Amino acid sequence: MAPSPEFVLRRNNVNVAGSGERAMMFAHGFGCDQHMWAQVAREFELDFRVVLFDYVGHGQSDLGAYSAERYSTLGGYADDVVEIGRTLGLRDAVFVGHSVSAMIGALASLKAPEMFSDLVMVGPSPRYIDDVGYRGGFSREQIDELIEFLADNHLGWSAAMAPAIMGNPDRPELSERLENSFCSTDPEIARDFARVTFLSDNRDDLGAVAARTLVLQCSNDIIAPVEVGEYVHARLPNSQYRLLGATGHCPNLSAPDEVTEAIRGFV
Amino acid sequence: MSETGASEDLEDLYETAPCGYVSISPHAVIVKANRTLADWLDWPPEELVGKSIHDILGFGGRIAFETHLAPLLRMQGHVHEIALDLVRSGGEKIPTIANAAEKRDSDGRHLFTRLTLFKAVDRRTYERSLLEARVKAEAEAKAQREAALLREQFIAVLGHDLRNPLGAIAAGIRLLGTREQLSETGAAILAQMNNSVERASSLIDDVLDLARGRLGGGFIVSRTAAEPLAPVLEHVLAEVRAIAPAREIEGHIDIDGPICCDPGRIGQLASNLLANAVTHGAADRPIRFEAATFGDQFVLSVSNAGKPIPEGLRSRLFQPFFRGDAQPSRPGLGLGLFIASEIAKAHQGTLDVSSTDEETRFTFIMPRESPD
Repeated sequence: MAPSPEFVLRRNNVNVAGSGERAMMFAHGFGCDQHMWAQVAREFELDFRVVLFDYVGHGQSDLGAYSAERYSTLGGYADDVVEIGRTLGLRDAVFVGHSVSAMIGALASLKAPEMFSDLVMVGPSPRYIDDVGYRGGFSREQIDELIEFLADNHLGWSAAMAPAIMGNPDRPELSERLENSFCSTDPEIARDFARVTFLSDNRDDLGAVAARTLVLQCSNDIIAPVEVGEYVHARLPNSQYRLLGATGHCPNLSAPDEVTEAIRGFV
Repeated sequence: MSETGASEDLEDLYETAPCGYVSISPHAVIVKANRTLADWLDWPPEELVGKSIHDILGFGGRIAFETHLAPLLRMQGHVHEIALDLVRSGGEKIPTIANAAEKRDSDGRHLFTRLTLFKAVDRRTYERSLLEARVKAEAEAKAQREAALLREQFIAVLGHDLRNPLGAIAAGIRLLGTREQLSETGAAILAQMNNSVERASSLIDDVLDLARGRLGGGFIVSRTAAEPLAPVLEHVLAEVRAIAPAREIEGHIDIDGPICCDPGRIGQLASNLLANAVTHGAADRPIRFEAATFGDQFVLSVSNAGKPIPEGLRSRLFQPFFRGDAQPSRPGLGLGLFIASEIAKAHQGTLDVSSTDEETRFTFIMPRESPD
């Protein structure tokens, strides 16, 4: 049975803005929330229905809706994307996914082929861990170290999970806890998401993606190196590839104009 | 020397401050670091400049820097109290707590990012032990919940399996009573045995009801308006009168039209309330049983005289295994009122008690029609 629209929209803190025939859905990557797309998304509001959302456990999503079982694979996250798309009646929309969301978007397009005609993958990686004949850039030991590191930041990140205490003038010490109020992530969910993300292997799914795809690759990205972006482009049946001048893993934040221009040129 | 005699040297403060300072370019290249940090990392200060910040971070820190810190810094300009592991030139890790802020020019252009680092060896150890304690406590709580569930499943299975041998004994008793010639003593013993078997059966029924309620299935009631309730209640009254022939039980049943309920379960509720009145009411005063429809409600009440139930105990009456002042000579599990209140709930009804020096009265009220 399909979940109710109210439930889906609240669960994923879905925000819709702008106007236009087509919709453009922006999906955040590991470690952040929909805020990371704000600057870029704003630029498309005149021509598109712009859809922003948070994955469960991130940002202002409904933490109570988290299920370790449902979200034990990227497919579970893709199911949420499809449910949001169905709730909003999306057809032939554009899906813009950062980092791990690039693969979530690809999976969603396989589950609901009519929903997204175009995909934009920003810093995609179908598999982070090296394999025979494949270089993802990471070893299994490194991923374990990352998961341990996230556990150490338990207190640091969890302090950010307190949206309800905003605007409490007579208790200023509480607003101090809102320091890292963007990109707040429940620490345990962050660890689960890291495991699901960095242990994923979606290389075999790429060949089945029918949607037109734009691969946006950053220079000097330690999470998704250039050769991984090139691999994704080579495996996708219908894709364009663009190497950005932006460095690091989050060009939507460090070089929003370049990303906006690249997406505009593609759609 | 006067307290104002020595003036602070800002250059020296930067270089030898009791914390590490490092500034990085928008492309994450180290542009300046202080001597304290260089000493911690065991690098000559001039060799630190030009390295990537990744080169002095552990692997987890590198990923967190790219996926968490850099985005947060872009969005809010600063990040406070983040755990970061530094890596010395020899590869050993130094746990630190970092604050970071972006330096921007008057046009908002990002010039560089400043990080201030504090060693946090003890703090990290403490945080880890807190986390471990929490994980352990959660695991123990989970194990206890599972053990409780297992116990209840065990009770349910045991109760269920005891029914068969008990059924065989009951059949044997019936056979002996009807087919065999018994002496007077033998017949009396057989009657006692029959009572005991019935009592054991009803204990098992109660335990099974409890286990079903606890195991999440809830009380299963199947409501129907087709089956009349009055004959069921008449039968319950007759049964209780047979069990307690010395007690006076006044019954009034006034039901007009159908009631959508599970008649068997309502009969069980009535039987439990009557049994309770027989056990706890004054032996020389009558028990009153009333069942009637009022508009769209059905009301059933049982009252008896006797010592009032203390105020403090009333809220606990409907909890399972509550036995109040029941004498040891009258063994029971304390499930009767609990089961009655569960049956009431399953009919969207209420079961309440009032208790004064004059009378103790249990009142069950339910809607005549099922809302669904």
